[in-house]
Amino acid sequence: MNPVRMATRLRRSPRAGIALIAATTLAALTACGGADSPAADAGTDSSSDQPITISFLSYNYGTPDIGGQGTQALIDAFEKAHPNITIKPQGVAVADVLTRLQTDTAAGSPPDVAQIGWSKMAAAYELLPIVPVQDIPPAADWDAAMEGFSENLLSAVAVDGKVKAVPYTISIPVIFYNADLFRQAGLDPAKPPTTIAEVKAAALAVTDKTDAEGVYLAVADPGKSDYMTQSVIASNGGREVGADGMPAFDQPAAVSALATVADLTSSGAQPAIAATNAVAAFSAGKLSMLIGSTAIAASLQKAADGKFELATTGFPSFGDKPAAPTYSGAGLAVLAKDPARQQAAWEFIKFLTSAEGFTIITSQIGYLPLRPALATDPKYLAPYFASNDLLSPALAQLDDVSPYQSFTGKNASKAVVTLQDEAIEPIVLRGADPAATLSAVAGDIRGFLAQK
Amino acid sequence: MTQLSQVAGGRGVSHAPPSGRLRDRARPWLYLAPVIVALLVWVYGPLVFTGVLSFMDWNLTAPHPSWVGTDNYTLLTDDPRFGEAVRNTLVYAAAMLPFATLVPMALAVALWKRPGRVSNVYRTLLFLPVVLAPVATAVVWQFLLDPLSGLVNVALGWFGLDPRNWLGDPSSALYVIVLITALKVVALNTLLFGAALATLDRGLLEAAALDGATEWDITRHLVLPHLRRALVLLGLLSLVVTWPWIFSNVAVLTQGGPDGSTDNVYYRMFLYAFAFFDAGTASAAAVVITAGLAVVLGLGLLLTGRRQRVVT
Repeated sequence: MNPVRMATRLRRSPRAGIALIAATTLAALTACGGADSPAADAGTDSSSDQPITISFLSYNYGTPDIGGQGTQALIDAFEKAHPNITIKPQGVAVADVLTRLQTDTAAGSPPDVAQIGWSKMAAAYELLPIVPVQDIPPAADWDAAMEGFSENLLSAVAVDGKVKAVPYTISIPVIFYNADLFRQAGLDPAKPPTTIAEVKAAALAVTDKTDAEGVYLAVADPGKSDYMTQSVIASNGGREVGADGMPAFDQPAAVSALATVADLTSSGAQPAIAATNAVAAFSAGKLSMLIGSTAIAASLQKAADGKFELATTGFPSFGDKPAAPTYSGAGLAVLAKDPARQQAAWEFIKFLTSAEGFTIITSQIGYLPLRPALATDPKYLAPYFASNDLLSPALAQLDDVSPYQSFTGKNASKAVVTLQDEAIEPIVLRGADPAATLSAVAGDIRGFLAQK
Repeated sequence: MTQLSQVAGGRGVSHAPPSGRLRDRARPWLYLAPVIVALLVWVYGPLVFTGVLSFMDWNLTAPHPSWVGTDNYTLLTDDPRFGEAVRNTLVYAAAMLPFATLVPMALAVALWKRPGRVSNVYRTLLFLPVVLAPVATAVVWQFLLDPLSGLVNVALGWFGLDPRNWLGDPSSALYVIVLITALKVVALNTLLFGAALATLDRGLLEAAALDGATEWDITRHLVLPHLRRALVLLGLLSLVVTWPWIFSNVAVLTQGGPDGSTDNVYYRMFLYAFAFFDAGTASAAAVVITAGLAVVLGLGLLLTGRRQRVVT
């Protein structure tokens, strides 16, 4: 056995063993990670020319779809550009990222770099030993690396003025629509709806004149993410979470926003089905509009090829208020303790979020290029956008995105699940009274968020 | 005679050298040691640790879990979602019981009475769901039950029935999960009932038939009494072994919804631990579940034992 590996294992604290027993006991039904110690695979020489291996936990890696292929392409390109740094990727189910990071950290072997969803980022900051990425390089290096990056997004993700995790695979919600169904319903696909009232009218026109369903606004997300809830509420001038980290979704603007979405269902413009069923219906050409994340743009395009004309337009506004969609997707966080590993992690993150990195991310996986100028740069993404403009409306709204808001305290994740399960889904799909339901759930959440 | 043997045995031991006696006494323990150590490390150790953890507040990564006494148990009793999960668990258990006992027993008897190639084909087809990966099966059901274009609704449409959102309706979702899971339970238990029937002497049945017993008489008075123990055992086992299958169906298809209608104590425990990162409350739930199961299984075994004593 490698002496470094042996020494590392011997140095592990007894608590790691106890934590593993606890995780094993509680995780009879889940796959707990068995990651090797990061220090197991490389030395800790801080010299940047020395060979070093860092681990990278990614929910895109290892999947058979475009996400997995694109992530592998990113890793290959990085290793080619940095022959002294080897990336050891680890796959994980998207729903298990925080769980895996928790158990790996408890076992003393967190990955050096992790792809973490924004809806779980606040909990990750609280629970995990995350090193703010902005603290790793010298200020000048950071400024140089982030030149051309969406400033609005960087300031939206900053915590106390500092970027802890760098936006990586980002998407924002848009309206996907079936141009063929629009034509059948007598609508002009060149003039898609821009407000939620126009969305409802267009959807009812489709249901009246075709066999297809009208619209689906994927606010009841099966992944229990609340980015769409936040997008809807913010676009109506409200907030899901107050500045104090407590619920604000029982205030009039939020209640009115969700009542408007519920009205889509009660009027027949929206079917009362789960989001997964809606995506399947849209892919099969049986739903005219799907308001969802650009993360599914590539898979919808694949489904639409040869069947119907797929188009996109920006997230709808509520009345005369400006649309303010919230971003979803993931950021890159560093958990490496060793300075040499932190430096290698920074090099990796710098590459992933560079012009070359976003060219691969956008063209192969379908996430937004967070360096908007790349879309018109012939060296990078101009050829891609010339033949595929599904992401253009989202890119145009990148400067309008509102920051993702997080609940406060150790029960923040529970608050999101409770809001989605006990308020949003019953209101939107099953006709629960918006004001009464949001008020009751807000009271419940305030109660357990206040617990120490 | 017994006394003589004991005396003889005692003399034998007393004549052995002390080191030999020690070795003789230690030998069985040495053979047992691997199993005992494995049990302590993998079963009883975590069990005790879970019990201790149920009195602590811990998010799995904090360096120092804090002692909170019985707060986690109070939280459980005060949480209406856990109460609903307990009620749903009882409904799951009751609804699953016929599929763990009566249905597979009837199928096993029917297959046993008609041995041959056709019976073997049926047996293989019946067992197929057991070997399929639970999550893959759940995903297939997701497509089949799609409210807009799923095959189930399409088939119902042929008979003039309206489509339903089977998994999105709180009144039907739990029973759909039970039926989907029942396919596996029926398949496995049919095989186990078949194994129990293999020990029944077909000659007895032929003799009864010669004596004028009807098919029903033979089934009622010979076959079914032979399966009584298997029936009780599989009924009790269904309270324990079906939950991983139910769990995977709930996790993939409904995530405990809609409106908590498919939630159960196992899924809720998973949420406490790995969605809310509250290891203390999850451990308290694990202790409550273990205690509840112990009571139910103890009562079941007690009643079964009494009945057997009365019969004998």
